[in-house]
Amino acid sequence: MGAESESGSGVQSVDPDDVDAADILGSAIERREDPALLTGDAEYTDDIELPGMVHMTIKRSRHAHARIENIDTSEAEAMDGVIEVFTAADIEAPGNLPTGWLLDSLEQVDHPILAEDRVRYQGDALAVVVAEERYIAHDATDRIDVDYDRLGAVTEPSEALADDAPAVHDDASGNVAFDWDIGDAEKTDAAFDDADHVVDLDLENQLLIPNAMEPRAAVAEYNPSNDELAVHMTSQNPHLHRLLMSGVIDHPEHKLQVRAPDVGGGFGSKIHHYADEALVALAAKRHERPVKWTATRTETYLTDAQGRGHDTHAEMALSDDGDILGFRVDTAANLGAYLSTFAPAVPTYLYGTLLSGQYDIPAIYCSVTGAFTNVPPVDAYRGAGRPEASFVVERMIHRAAKEVGMDPAEFRRRNFVEEFPYQTQVAVEYDSGDYEKTLDRALDLLDYDELRERQEAARAEGKYVGVGLSAYIEACGLAPSELAGELGAQAGLWESGLVRFHPSGKVTAYCGTSGHGQGHDTTYAQIVANELGVDYEDVEVVEGDTDEIPQGMGTYGSRSAAVGGSALVKSSQKLVEKAKRIAAHQLEAAPEDIEFENGDFHVAGAPDRSMHIAEIATQAYLAHDMPDDMEPGLEATSFYDPDNFVFPFGLHAAVVEVDPDTGEIDIERYVAVDDVGNQINPKIVEGQIHGGVAQGIGQALYEGAEYDDNGQLVTGSMQDYTVPKAEHIPSMETDSTCTPSPVNPLGVKGVGEAGTIAAPQAVVNAVCDALDVDQIGMPMKAERVWRAANAATDGGEH
Amino acid sequence: MEFDGTFGLADVTTEEVWLALSDPVMIKNALPGCQFLVEVDNPDDVDFDALEEAAAEEEDPATLPEADPEEVAERGLAQGGHYAALVQVGVGSVKPRFETVVTIDRREFPEMDASGQGSASDSSFEMDSGMTLVETDDGVDVEWWTEADVFGRVAQMGQRVINPVANRVVGRFFKQVQKELSDVGDESSGLRDRISSYI
Amino acid sequence: MTRDISLTVNGTEHELSVEPRALLISVLRDELDYTGPNVGCESSMCGACTVHLDGEAVKSCTVLAVQADGCDVTTVEGLATDGEFHPIQQGFQEEHGLQCGYCTPGMMMTATELLDRNPDPSEEEIREALEGNLCRCTGYQNIVRAVENAAEKMQQEPAVADGGGD
Ligand code: FES
Ligand code: FES
Repeated sequence: MGAESESGSGVQSVDPDDVDAADILGSAIERREDPALLTGDAEYTDDIELPGMVHMTIKRSRHAHARIENIDTSEAEAMDGVIEVFTAADIEAPGNLPTGWLLDSLEQVDHPILAEDRVRYQGDALAVVVAEERYIAHDATDRIDVDYDRLGAVTEPSEALADDAPAVHDDASGNVAFDWDIGDAEKTDAAFDDADHVVDLDLENQLLIPNAMEPRAAVAEYNPSNDELAVHMTSQNPHLHRLLMSGVIDHPEHKLQVRAPDVGGGFGSKIHHYADEALVALAAKRHERPVKWTATRTETYLTDAQGRGHDTHAEMALSDDGDILGFRVDTAANLGAYLSTFAPAVPTYLYGTLLSGQYDIPAIYCSVTGAFTNVPPVDAYRGAGRPEASFVVERMIHRAAKEVGMDPAEFRRRNFVEEFPYQTQVAVEYDSGDYEKTLDRALDLLDYDELRERQEAARAEGKYVGVGLSAYIEACGLAPSELAGELGAQAGLWESGLVRFHPSGKVTAYCGTSGHGQGHDTTYAQIVANELGVDYEDVEVVEGDTDEIPQGMGTYGSRSAAVGGSALVKSSQKLVEKAKRIAAHQLEAAPEDIEFENGDFHVAGAPDRSMHIAEIATQAYLAHDMPDDMEPGLEATSFYDPDNFVFPFGLHAAVVEVDPDTGEIDIERYVAVDDVGNQINPKIVEGQIHGGVAQGIGQALYEGAEYDDNGQLVTGSMQDYTVPKAEHIPSMETDSTCTPSPVNPLGVKGVGEAGTIAAPQAVVNAVCDALDVDQIGMPMKAERVWRAANAATDGGEH
Repeated sequence: MEFDGTFGLADVTTEEVWLALSDPVMIKNALPGCQFLVEVDNPDDVDFDALEEAAAEEEDPATLPEADPEEVAERGLAQGGHYAALVQVGVGSVKPRFETVVTIDRREFPEMDASGQGSASDSSFEMDSGMTLVETDDGVDVEWWTEADVFGRVAQMGQRVINPVANRVVGRFFKQVQKELSDVGDESSGLRDRISSYI
Repeated sequence: MTRDISLTVNGTEHELSVEPRALLISVLRDELDYTGPNVGCESSMCGACTVHLDGEAVKSCTVLAVQADGCDVTTVEGLATDGEFHPIQQGFQEEHGLQCGYCTPGMMMTATELLDRNPDPSEEEIREALEGNLCRCTGYQNIVRAVENAAEKMQQEPAVADGGGD
């Protein structure tokens, strides 16, 4: 494990049957989840069909901001096949969706599951239809008549904070949800006073819509005789959904099962607790029949929690020699209409704490104002806060290098953190790293010097070639519960793992994470097989069901391998310990004299006096001959709570050619060198990088939620919101270095978000480099680039 | 969203166009997807179902040139008047039926301003519009503009879809107006003179 | 007001009554329980619902069930023969061409049609052919490799190329 890959040509996968048991960890084996997904046998939520099942739809607000004067459901109710239509008025005290992260200055506002007298974004839920057939439910929804008294709407955070902005919540004055800061303001001011140069940029990180290919969905079934309620849903964290939902619908947590069947991507959007699943659960209870709701694509555009949405002013203080002296960042963050599950954490602790980037910056100060607006709630989207931070840092680094007349690669090298652990000025301590190594590897792959020469030659011919670098860092493996608690988390961030031997010697591992495309079944089986010394095929993995798994926190923040995988390691180690004592007992040796290797326990110096761990499992359940005071059985549960985040890093580079006449951008090369610590399955790691980079390129070039002056979403379909297609994404050259994390027993760092964090600024820097301009906004659509190009060649402003 | 344009009508006089574009019956006939257009007393309380039923039963009165210009002038749009219409338009994959109420805010020959709103099951709009008639060498130019706010499903399709729809509707409307008016000019009966006397 | 139609899905004939407005995708999924093809957009943008209709890749969310009356439909469930993966399935498995798998049934149906037409496509041709199939997970790179891998396999053993069942 941990071997660095050879070149940028990609990882070759292998059949698990061809891998020696001892080598399973770190092998790029094919995924075990694929056969079901490749044959149509997978079970996504909408595939679930239950006897007597009825369908639910939700009437959503047409306006972004309005008072509700009346909701007339009579026509819908009168339709054949409609079972019930209900509004907030029909349910006793509609539940409020809670926020899972609090800040000192946070203005908490009500977020009812059905709006009562006011709607605050287009898509806010107003009424629920339950009908025998899906299409009847949709027809009936169209026949609900709502009288609105339209109010002014605001969608941009900086506009929402202006004096004359419409008030989204009467209680949140000036639309301020919170004011938050980190770092040392005075020290930073002093650094600016001493600076030889100061550079500044206004940077917008646009709102994005996650666009998991599977729309959100839920199926609920209720058994009145025992009060048991089961919700099958598109969830990244069933246990969290169970906990929150039990409060929202007032149903006992131990009688609520939340299960995530196969889930078609999430990228954050399936973490949060939405009104929708709570309404499905309520409907199932009201009618004592299974109820299904599946979002249409339009609904996902209107209601999936969106991501990013920052307006930032950043300034950097520099010395003549090219040292970074200070960094000051002021951000207005869009939180949308209500506080979603983790919303307050994203633009604060997941953002401000990463503003040191890969650099030794002696003084940093960051202030963030969270703003309520009339867009859907904004919350974690792949990267959550860290892409915004890395974007600000790396855009500023690009600008700063130019200011002091240094090559951007050398400017970075000069300012890199070199000693680890490293305490930043923004609270976090980096675990380990070797930033020069990823930089050098990437420069090598790029043939950087040659590239710079070519760039100059091209410019002489009137061609605009640019190179953009992005030296990113992220904090993941969310993470230490105590720290998270101090920072405002309303939940722990440990993970649980149960490893159970069956009497036959086979193993089932249960983990509280909940994969939705990341290949956890494969990687966890690799981990457990390696720890126990059993065959990979003998390990089954179970995830995503609150009835089967002790507890869990779910999958997000690139935490599954680092935290969930580590919980499975701990449990496996406990099993080995117990098995060793049984082996000692049955082999009539002292436990200290027993050695464990590849699944075999043997007496030191007598290799033929041995027992395999699978045999011991059988013995543990037979329980005929156990050490004194030892309970039968062979299983263990652990709650793993690491003592730090982990900090993956890397260097991504884009080489672009820009056509100044059309504004078109051609990404000629994309090079990604990542250091995610040890790799359990390099093929899966590579896939995560590819997918992440594609989303990052999507942000740089194509994506963005746009609203008109009334808060109407005008990019509300896949036709208007460009999810990148195969033709839009270049072939990437990936490579890696390996600096194992000292934080967890696997030495892993997490990879799920790296590409998305790294890519946007690599591409923007490349385009700025090509055109020799300081600033271009995202998405860099042709018209915008054309304007920048022409302003630049005219010598005018940009 | 803002739309505007100029539509040239050949071989007509400003007065004829004014009268035609003031005639709810003519407008109804020319506007694609318009099921009725009638004057109402209270714009906040319109029973569209009843109006639709009534419209289905009634025969449309004649328009110019068959109609008596006096009658046309009589039923013409009045400043301060409120009018209800049911208009169905195909926008992308949906075909919302807009229950629409329009108020004539200003009507001074040759200019007219109106405002209104319409709502369908999942979409709605609010608009301000105006037009000016300008005499040209071979007829009349209708200069028109509309500022519209669109909400709901239709808004989500954005200008990509709405612009062509708006252009199509306006284009068809004026083509129809042109067609109906071309007969007016042919008349040697002095209709033209009689029309101008009603302005 | 339903209409009687007959559909042959993956070789099995089905007689059924459908609403005139019922879409092929809903009939396949909800009536006939072929839940392999997925719904990602209901508007012909994402390709998750792609199936073969008389051998041609179509987005089944844009086809009315009545239009498919009398046709041969192949869904992802019909790709493997006698438990043996079609080369495209092998390609996706070997090259890690899928993550969440939601786009995969549609991707594979579009890809097999491409390989029927063009047994040795270039990377550019593959990317172009997949233009109507969106994937949010993979960044497409391993999907392209999967199609190349399948093309190689199908050229080596041409007999397998007919295994698609359509
Ligand atoms: S569901 Fe048919 S193309 Fe998206
Ligand atoms: S694998 Fe998830 S959408 Fe393609």
